[in-house]
Amino acid sequence: MNKRKFNLISIVILAAVLLTACSSGLSGSSWPGITTNGDTFYVANMAQVYAIRATDGSQVWRFPEKPTRTMYFAAPVLVENQLIVGDYQKTLQSLNPATGSVNWTFVAKGPWIASPLVVDSTIFAPNGDGNLYALDLSGNQLWKFTAEKALWSRPVGNGDTIYQASMDHNIYALDMTSGSVKWTKNLGGAVIYSPTLSDDGMLYVATMARELIALSTKNGEILWQRKFEESLWSQPALHEDTLFFGDLGGKAYGINRLNGKDIWVQSLTDPVTGEPTVTEDSVIFATENGTLAALSFTGERKWTETVTGKLYNGPVQFEDKLLVGVALGESPLVLKTNSGQNIWSFIAPK
Amino acid sequence: MNIWDSLIITPFINVLLFIYNLIGQNFGIAIILFTLLIRLVTHPLMVKQIKGAQGMQDLQKNEKWIKTQEKYKGDKEKLAQEQMALYKELGINPFSSCLPTLIQLPIIFGLYQAVIYAMATTPIDLLNLVRHIYPGLLKVETLIPLNNRFLWMDLSQPERLNIPGLEFGIPVMVVIVVLTTYIQGKLVQPPSTNAKDQTAAMSGMMNLYMPIFMGYLAYTLASGLALYFVASNLVGIAQYAMLGKVNWANVFPFLKKKEEKAAKGKTKLLKAK
Repeated sequence: MNKRKFNLISIVILAAVLLTACSSGLSGSSWPGITTNGDTFYVANMAQVYAIRATDGSQVWRFPEKPTRTMYFAAPVLVENQLIVGDYQKTLQSLNPATGSVNWTFVAKGPWIASPLVVDSTIFAPNGDGNLYALDLSGNQLWKFTAEKALWSRPVGNGDTIYQASMDHNIYALDMTSGSVKWTKNLGGAVIYSPTLSDDGMLYVATMARELIALSTKNGEILWQRKFEESLWSQPALHEDTLFFGDLGGKAYGINRLNGKDIWVQSLTDPVTGEPTVTEDSVIFATENGTLAALSFTGERKWTETVTGKLYNGPVQFEDKLLVGVALGESPLVLKTNSGQNIWSFIAPK
Repeated sequence: MNIWDSLIITPFINVLLFIYNLIGQNFGIAIILFTLLIRLVTHPLMVKQIKGAQGMQDLQKNEKWIKTQEKYKGDKEKLAQEQMALYKELGINPFSSCLPTLIQLPIIFGLYQAVIYAMATTPIDLLNLVRHIYPGLLKVETLIPLNNRFLWMDLSQPERLNIPGLEFGIPVMVVIVVLTTYIQGKLVQPPSTNAKDQTAAMSGMMNLYMPIFMGYLAYTLASGLALYFVASNLVGIAQYAMLGKVNWANVFPFLKKKEEKAAKGKTKLLKAK
């Protein structure tokens, strides 16, 4: 090959690598979403969904067998022998939990970022196209509600009402059977993580306006709202009358759910992300830099463990153990004891 | 945050989003204006680069230069020394064309990355974007979510124009990117008098590969980037045109014929005189 031609082709290839490396149009990483039926853990991570044996962390099946261009952000949901999982390429699928074969698919216009909520025999699936789709267990659409912007947050349900927070700054109360709007409340900022619902009909939601807001499920009336110095990338976890959550400045908070006032504040140094996990005797915070910090309900530090990778959600409880989903790490799923010791790590077979 | 992020990406993202906010939250127009702004800022560098390249081109025709090449064909060391002496004598800086390009490159990559960051399409992207925003300049709560709609496009997704009755979408932006890249390459290609001119052959190949490559990127990546490519190409053409460095005859062959006719006419007239 002529030297000049070789140089030219090299320049084009180099430019291609440089441009595509910083620009897939899709983030280089998702985070693992986890669910379990007791015997098997189901993990949606990067481009595949894995079924993993609880006993030893070995793979039962994976879907699809080979990675495609898609990614999974939403945790799978188990319902009546179906595993419902939505991907970034607009497809919501029902898989057979035993084999990973496809039962049915439902295609929307946007990516599935949040997990669906299943109440009785209805799937409430929020999509990036701004629609909340209500589907039956065969994937047939019952109704849809359209918000002004994308839905990245999982809905919560109470009685006959479903509450859906949106990137359009609103939270909507919808009738479960028809999708008609009962009330709407502007929260002053986009919502990424789900609201937390209390037994006495209160919703607690963190917004991108750095606010934590408490509102009534009855009419959306705001009971209190509190501004924080740092961004909130966290869903509050509720234990009795205390809300636990953290901020990107590295602070973990225990606040009174009735008035929003601090009960305690603890510095974890690293950015706190996701929903903390409430166990029998502690609350476990996850940080973006891979730290798991277990605090007592009164804010004293009990133990700290670090995993290789990033954490965007608190661990999932399984019996007396903790399942940790790790983004950009050596293993997407680590099973730990309730004091943070490793039991096994899942490595996807080639 | 690393130096690249602090010095290039973060300021670029904030300028882009500041423009977005200023013009009523239209991300498409913001990308176009941002591209225009960056091109204007780097315009003096471009002028230097063009002048430098022109100087080097003129040098190839210089008699002294040609003689030196012939004389020291076999002695590379001596040839280099003589060339340097000639550069000094004629007041030419051999790096004057590539240095401005090198300075422009990180700015162009920064612009490109800023557009990608700002189009945050996933939660992790959004988290990264929020971290790049200067809180004193912009308010996250009013910015997010960004309005990614522009004309028929969702700027965060690859573009396809869906026409009723057609089962597939037409990648209109891909066609525009390919065309504008090709036209820009052709327009700025200097006329070559020498059939064996390797530089001309190389730029000819570049004119063929680059539109295909850019078209591939526009087909697979978010349409916001395709919009940036088109804006960048059009502004580039305008810049070259303003500097009188555009060869319209390369794209419109009938102009070449006209020019040739005019030249022939002039020669005849001179001969007749």
